[in-house]
Amino acid sequence: MKANTLIIGYGNADRQDDGVGWHILKNLAEKIGHQVPDDPGEVIEIESEIVDLRFILQIFPELAEVISGYERVCFVDAHTSDIPQEISWSDLDPQYERSPLTHHMSPKTVLSIAATIYGKAPKAILVSVRGYEFQFERSLTPKTAALSEKAQERIWEWINQGE
Amino acid sequence: MATEKITIEPVTRIEGHAKVTIHMNDNGSVDHAYFHVNEFRGFEKFCEGRMYFEMPQITPRICGICPVSHHLASAKACDILMGAEPPHTAVLLRELMHMGQIIQSHSMHFFELAGPDLILGFDADPEIRNVVGLIGADPELTLRAVQLRKFGQDIIYQVGGRRIHPNFAVPGGVNRVMTEDRREHMLANVERAIETTQIGIKLIKDWANANIADVEKFAVFHSGYLGLVTPQNGLELYDGNIRLVDKDGKQLELFGAQNYLENIAEHVEDWSYLKFPYYKKMGWPDGVYRVGPLGRLNVAEKIDTPLAQAEFKVYHQINNGNPVYQTLYYHYARLIEVLFAIERARELLENPDLMGKDILNKKHDLKSEAVGVLEAPRGTLLHHYKVNPNGQLENVNLIVSTGHNNWAMSEAVDSVAKTYVKGPNVKEGMLNRVEAAIRAYDPCLSCSTHAIGQMPIKIDIVDPDGTIRQTLQRD
Repeated sequence: MKANTLIIGYGNADRQDDGVGWHILKNLAEKIGHQVPDDPGEVIEIESEIVDLRFILQIFPELAEVISGYERVCFVDAHTSDIPQEISWSDLDPQYERSPLTHHMSPKTVLSIAATIYGKAPKAILVSVRGYEFQFERSLTPKTAALSEKAQERIWEWINQGE
Repeated sequence: MATEKITIEPVTRIEGHAKVTIHMNDNGSVDHAYFHVNEFRGFEKFCEGRMYFEMPQITPRICGICPVSHHLASAKACDILMGAEPPHTAVLLRELMHMGQIIQSHSMHFFELAGPDLILGFDADPEIRNVVGLIGADPELTLRAVQLRKFGQDIIYQVGGRRIHPNFAVPGGVNRVMTEDRREHMLANVERAIETTQIGIKLIKDWANANIADVEKFAVFHSGYLGLVTPQNGLELYDGNIRLVDKDGKQLELFGAQNYLENIAEHVEDWSYLKFPYYKKMGWPDGVYRVGPLGRLNVAEKIDTPLAQAEFKVYHQINNGNPVYQTLYYHYARLIEVLFAIERARELLENPDLMGKDILNKKHDLKSEAVGVLEAPRGTLLHHYKVNPNGQLENVNLIVSTGHNNWAMSEAVDSVAKTYVKGPNVKEGMLNRVEAAIRAYDPCLSCSTHAIGQMPIKIDIVDPDGTIRQTLQRD
């Protein structure tokens, strides 16, 4: 059954801490009794009564249609040292953000597309975890792994609070 | 004359990919500008020691923007290494997947990333100069644009069975046959995709006509052009020989990918990690060239699908049959390629051979060296592998599309900055034009990591004595 809350983890799980969204999503899946393949090489879509989970490599325009069907959406990503907090938790408003130089789309942008095309953007938050290394590895650095556990617990609370 | 410096520095996915530095004269004009790439691509070294047949799965995981292109270029190199020419059906299936990649990447770039600048104007309020602003101009088109990108992505999924990292192409062929229901599913959406692309083409043509003064002075410069062609010099995205023409369209070289080192060398500048490929026989910098949609339509003499060919004829008359050198026409060329890719996808889907069951050549006669090539959305992509007798990679060289266009992007930034930027009070629209010069080439700089940075664009105007006089930033 489709829930009214969606968690979207995104990033490249083959680039070490960039894949923290994948690791958090994998653990959340296990909490609701689902197994996720060890190879993070495919989109993951899990539906349950509590929460729906989705893992993707990057944000893309047609995700707008998906999120417009939910009441609440939580995006989970890594962040670099540009953001001072180890775990950043922020509300997102639908707002188009242009990619200055390259081929890339942000969560706020896809929310703005949802709001304007489909007439509805969910209440959305972005949880990002500090990444320290972006090498060619699938395992997180110890620092990011520790942070991801904290972030995951807080996301789980958010899921169950229902607000 | 003393100079001051403006730095445009996006804080991007991996810290410090690229930035633009504009050096100002003390009279407020631009002295010169650079496009720096600060990213260090270590993955060629990372691949050494791996087995060659792993590469079609490894390389897509490195690049998050065009994984299909790396997947297929790598598989093509492995075919040659293994001495196993893929069966006809496998070639058709691979090409179909590649058309999906071209459609999804190009359509997202035009409609969601670059188009709003053009359609709503470089000087429009940034608050409305976006896809949401586009909706105000044409809500139906915006929805269509989302569906067009989805159509391309769906082809990749229907052919390969995965949406992120394809594992479909293997040395000697592919691992999944086509089924009738999937074939029909894809065909059902072709007509609407063509209609949407034609709407986009009309949009860019109308825009160019209405803004011809900008088109004729925005990053306008000559270069050579490089891309794959069919045996009859038609547009080719998946296979064929590499054709290099000069600024007047005269053929300089026609060569197989295996011979790329005879024709392409790489220049190094101390202000960028990214090398600058050029035509060896003309030397640096006379041998610089451009790739991607503009480059491809300048090396091609025709397009072998009817609707794209009709549009190509119109496009070809922009400079009376001479190469189109104006940077902003990259967008027009890009949409013509989308039209071609959709038509070509339909041809492939309607070809009975696509449904064949012979999809893998298991021959194994290991060679020591091979080069795979195709036209990624951004331009020619080369994978060059050398292996030892055990099949372990001893040397890997990848020349990526963005690398080919490195000189052109820097030249475009320099040209646009000199034309539009007037200091010391730099306006947002000026900055946006500098960004747009780079965006026209649709560079792939992120190398697949997606960590959040704040991604501001910052301009520091620095006096000759080093003090910052003005900072302009957009978060």
